Amino acid sequence: MTSVLREGKETRKITHTNDECVGCGICSDICPTSALNLGPILPIARGILEMDYINMNHDKCVLCGLCSFACPFDAIDFEINGENAKKIENYPKWNCGTEITKDDCIYCGKCEIYCPRDAIAMKRNLPNVEDLVMGETRTEVDKCINCRICVEMCPAEAITIKTESEKTTKKFTAKDIEIDKSKCMYCKICQKVCPEDAIKIICTSCMDIEQIPEVTIDGALVLDEEICVNCGWCEKICPTEAAHTKKPFEGEVILNENEEEDLICKGDSCHACQDVCPCNAITIVDNKSFVNQEVCVLCGACAKACPQKILNVNRTVMNLDNIKSASWQKILGSIID
Amino acid sequence: MTVKINYEKCGNISNCPGEGLCIKLCEQGALIDEGGNLKVVDENCDDCDLCIANCPNQAISKG
Repeated sequence: MTSVLREGKETRKITHTNDECVGCGICSDICPTSALNLGPILPIARGILEMDYINMNHDKCVLCGLCSFACPFDAIDFEINGENAKKIENYPKWNCGTEITKDDCIYCGKCEIYCPRDAIAMKRNLPNVEDLVMGETRTEVDKCINCRICVEMCPAEAITIKTESEKTTKKFTAKDIEIDKSKCMYCKICQKVCPEDAIKIICTSCMDIEQIPEVTIDGALVLDEEICVNCGWCEKICPTEAAHTKKPFEGEVILNENEEEDLICKGDSCHACQDVCPCNAITIVDNKSFVNQEVCVLCGACAKACPQKILNVNRTVMNLDNIKSASWQKILGSIID
Repeated sequence: MTVKINYEKCGNISNCPGEGLCIKLCEQGALIDEGGNLKVVDENCDDCDLCIANCPNQAISKG
């Protein structure tokens, strides 16, 4: 985290939080005084270099705050007299975000797995399996010949046969047949395979259906909005349409190869775009960069990292509202085509 | 076509601000550390230009 602070008629402070930064360089592109420099994003993303994505030049920064409003990921804070300027009425506001509706969520956990930023944490309470089936098991250890076929065949791995060595014959004989009720499904396979009729299983699940409780799965889900980049993976993957994302931009990323000038995607040899993408939106397919537009946020980190400069980010809509000053409209407007 | 090193700009791996960043970035094994000096293995170079784009000394160019 790096800050620039200046006191005067107003006290202004700009703070860049690297954990929330994706290294897209939008801030450095629009900074009117070139006070922000984008670092080497590929070596940083690959973990070769340990440094912040953005370097702030304290001497050049005039604390205008444009960078903080241009950042679609809220990685730059701007304070005026201790107040968050993003909350001040006359400053621009991003109209993007992600919401996961509790009422529609079934706590399947898919969004938690797919979220490329690890911004989702889910906890759920599943019922005990043994409460959802009913039955009885009866074993006759005297009949058991310790052949262990039941142990091998039990799909739930619920059977254990305890043995003891008989003093006279020195043979191992069964002392006890244990069936773990938390695992047994009363499927009767053990009964069917036992050559000595030593196991009897009675399944009463259907008969006792009224006594089996209805399944309710509850849980809790937390979305860390500071880390979330509004890529829409959760919305795409959610089976119950509980997740809704509004992205910061609309548009598309296009791979623009030019064979005449030898500007060709090197795919698996390079994969710089894939490594810097904060959204897991890029894969290398048939040795070429392939952008999954559905989960791309059009941040442009891929275009910055591409050594051939053949990825074009075409932003057509920017969901940044309430830009009042004409000069800010011009500068912030340059983010889209 | 392969890459060319300007050894004046490069100034050995020990002086590199990225501690041999190009070697670490090149997954083709086309750039190697030979006794503290950078060496290009032409036959391994795939012309991906990652080294050119990321060299902190701008010492690498197209040959």
